[in-house]
Amino acid sequence: MKNRAERQPLPLMLLCWGFVLIWLITAAFPFLWTLWGSFKVEADFFSYADWMNAVTGTRTIQQTGSAFTGAGYEGAWVEQRFWLAVINTAIVTVCVVVISLTIGTLGGYALARSGFRYTFWILIAALIFRAMPHVTLVSGYLLPFFQLNIWGYLPTTIIVLVAINQPFTLWMLHSFFLSIPKDLDESAMVDGCTRFQAFRLVIIPVMWPGVVTTGLFSFLLAYNDFTVTSMLLTQENQTMVPKIASFLGTVQAENKVMYAVAAVVSAMGPLFVLVLFFQRQIVSGLTAGAVKG
Amino acid sequence: MRHRTFFAFILPSLVVMLLFIALPILSVAYQSLFIEHEQAMTAVETCDPFGCKTELRVDAAAMEALREAEPMGKFNGLGTYANSSHLAFDELAAIWRDSPSLGVAFTRMLNLPLYKALSFTLAYTFIVTPLVIITGFFIALGVNAIPGLIKGPVIFFSLLPMIVTPLIGSLVLFWMIDSNGILGASLQRLLGDPSLTLKASPTLTWTVLMVYGVWHSAPFSFIVYYAGLQSVPKDTLESAMIDGASRWERVRYVIIPHLLPLTTFIALMQLMDNFRVLEPIVGFSAAANATSLSYLIYNDLRGAETPLFGSAGATSMLTICGVIILLSPVLLRTWRDFNRKTH
Amino acid sequence: MAQLRLVNVTKAYGDYVGVRGFSLDIKDQEFLVLLGPSGCGKSTTMRMIAGLEDVTSGEIWLGDRMVNNLEPKDRDISMVFQSYGLYPNMTVYENIRFPLKVRRVPAAQQHDMVMRAAQMVELTEYLDRRPAALSGGQRQRVALGRAIVRKPTVFLMDEPLSNLDAKLRVSTRAQIKNLQHTLKTTTVYVTHDQIEAMTLADRVVVMNRGEIQQVGTPTDIYDMPANTFVAGFIGSPAMNLIEGTLANGSFTAEGLRIDGLTTAHSGNVTLGFRAEDATITRQGGQIAAPVYSIELLGEASMISYRIGGALVSVKAAKDYRAAIGEIVEASIPAGICHLFDTASGKRLGAA
Repeated sequence: MKNRAERQPLPLMLLCWGFVLIWLITAAFPFLWTLWGSFKVEADFFSYADWMNAVTGTRTIQQTGSAFTGAGYEGAWVEQRFWLAVINTAIVTVCVVVISLTIGTLGGYALARSGFRYTFWILIAALIFRAMPHVTLVSGYLLPFFQLNIWGYLPTTIIVLVAINQPFTLWMLHSFFLSIPKDLDESAMVDGCTRFQAFRLVIIPVMWPGVVTTGLFSFLLAYNDFTVTSMLLTQENQTMVPKIASFLGTVQAENKVMYAVAAVVSAMGPLFVLVLFFQRQIVSGLTAGAVKG
Repeated sequence: MRHRTFFAFILPSLVVMLLFIALPILSVAYQSLFIEHEQAMTAVETCDPFGCKTELRVDAAAMEALREAEPMGKFNGLGTYANSSHLAFDELAAIWRDSPSLGVAFTRMLNLPLYKALSFTLAYTFIVTPLVIITGFFIALGVNAIPGLIKGPVIFFSLLPMIVTPLIGSLVLFWMIDSNGILGASLQRLLGDPSLTLKASPTLTWTVLMVYGVWHSAPFSFIVYYAGLQSVPKDTLESAMIDGASRWERVRYVIIPHLLPLTTFIALMQLMDNFRVLEPIVGFSAAANATSLSYLIYNDLRGAETPLFGSAGATSMLTICGVIILLSPVLLRTWRDFNRKTH
Repeated sequence: MAQLRLVNVTKAYGDYVGVRGFSLDIKDQEFLVLLGPSGCGKSTTMRMIAGLEDVTSGEIWLGDRMVNNLEPKDRDISMVFQSYGLYPNMTVYENIRFPLKVRRVPAAQQHDMVMRAAQMVELTEYLDRRPAALSGGQRQRVALGRAIVRKPTVFLMDEPLSNLDAKLRVSTRAQIKNLQHTLKTTTVYVTHDQIEAMTLADRVVVMNRGEIQQVGTPTDIYDMPANTFVAGFIGSPAMNLIEGTLANGSFTAEGLRIDGLTTAHSGNVTLGFRAEDATITRQGGQIAAPVYSIELLGEASMISYRIGGALVSVKAAKDYRAAIGEIVEASIPAGICHLFDTASGKRLGAA
């Protein structure tokens, strides 16, 4: 039984459905198409003659004898050594998330619990830092990193990503901590905890939802980064995204675009799983910032 | 909380931000004042049976010595800022002098690399941002009206364009819009123009990049607005019904004012993110027709044989100025709010 | 004519019935209060009158129009909400004018109407403020002003005072009463606060679990509660209710015996009496028990006992003092007693 305020006349209802449907197709079709196409040969995926070829896999059957082929994946993972990039990505993302959250929760907690004037300025500085285009920062890293001889290694990239991520993490955790009543840590301290014990034993246990949400966004930043990883890593240490960018040129020239398509689909996989399981947290995270305004 | 405790808690975070955000900005500023060493040449006389020739060769030892003595390069003052690939004062003056009309002058100005990039960056920022806000608003209204059971899947698919790596997202679209891709080929056939390709005209390239921008960011404003719609005060909405407001008037007088603060938030986030557009230009290989400030820096560092640190530094500084100008209304307002609160 | 008639109105949400068979005639210019605990269906009833909820079955008549299928805006009513439902982005003036604006009242008349309404609710000084810059009481008056600006046939008020502090509640209550008297508009008022109901209403409808328990003037309801629910809900403190058995005009329960009840009934009954009707006595009282607690209210002292499982209160003079645990007697003459059937809760006649 619907409330009268929510009831829609039929034409408006149809309009809404139509609009949502169009949006859904726009949002989802490119991914489904690429996923489907990644199991075809290039002549089908880029079938100028007739796009139905891509659906039925005409050329794929001609060339490989079956409607689906894993050739693209084989080429990307084995020949182009994409697996190495996958391992690098795993290392980078895990480290970035763990370190970001560790120092971010401490900082966010401090910002939320102190009423000093400078906390305001730290938050404003963080906002400005958040706005800095990453590539301008990268252009500042290169020269010193070359001189210190720390360019190209995973740890360097990890700490840089943590730093770039920090302003956002601080803002987000700060607003999550603000939503936890001060009484909680005050009663813990009256009961005999130090400030740090109160933080660790009382606040963190109730902060898990906020930490998980913030962690998701840290993960996304590290996983999706192109600017930093493409400039600060050697060929051998490359993560997935710069790897795809760098072999895009060569495979295009060698008529092996399907390698890139397969690699792209492989890199999308974890993100799909992530959204599937953490949809609620992602939505709440996007809105957490908005509520603070 | 005492000052000491506060700093103990925030120190790691602060140190990381100072070292890897504040310091690089200073380093970039310093770096922008220098220019790469010119190649030191020495005349070498080589003799063979046919006679002697004098050749100019790069003197590796001398270069090494130079680099050793001045690792940052040669001091150039603000020269890099003024040169033709940045603010291009001389060229601007020449254009101003020689152009028959303001329109021509403007067109010529947009051929200078920095202004070309600036024009795209600004166009992208200020076209995509409002479109994202509007599209997201209507998707949110639409999704809010459909039955609750299918909202979950709709939100799932809506999130994909935003969650997916920008480079990967732009590649996915690129492969479809490319002249051999499903959309590109269909469009060519539909319009009966086989020469129609993404790279055919700057307008087309710009349009495609902006379509990508809206596609990528609309989910963000959709989700924020959708959450906002859940918190529209029910009492006020019902008051409006009883007061006699029509459906549209309820949207106009209750829902839109309620969502207005969220719009500021979305606009701020989108301005920041769109101003640094880079990945789609790489993904769509669109650099010939559309470059952005970020792309110029990327290209200076990546494209050349040796990275042009001075040039990249100068562009970076100019970009940072742009960001500050962009943020200034927000900063000013926050500053005023803060002052009002403390006084 | 602003007569409001509800005929067998029912509201069901799937299997759950929110309001069951609500029938009532509300007279022109009457101030009717729907009273009941939260979740009793009083707000749902009002929202059905407003048109904010659909009626599952039954009919709602406004004058000579059946309004079941009319949109809220076409019913010619106005409503004050619990949290006021003000438009936060508009000034007080614009808030009050809003109903006129969206109903396309000629612009020339709007200003006068707004000013008259603002004057009645004493808001003329605040017309260009936003709701956020007003106190709770002022916001409440804006909501009132917006409701009266357009002379509707029926006012609906959904717990309009519950967000105000105790002191403001008293003065605003008086204001609402006066406003209704001046405007002579039929008013339906929902509250869970029995004092509001008693002070404001021409007639009170006591509801529980979606059903009407009793309809009557405040005096009727106070003096002759129709069942144990009404008895236990009305009055401060509520009526003392003690379960026991009745035989030959004598009521007996653990530690209590009352004789001389003029009734023909017998069996399991619940006896009720009001704390203010009973008196403390030196000897010969029906209750002689240790004091459980004594509360000083200022205008009186309240003694309570534990009789059986129930807490029983008796009002004593304001200078009366007793120690907790001390044996004190209380007199409960048969004349002040109400009898209810324990099984059905219904009042037993001829007490």
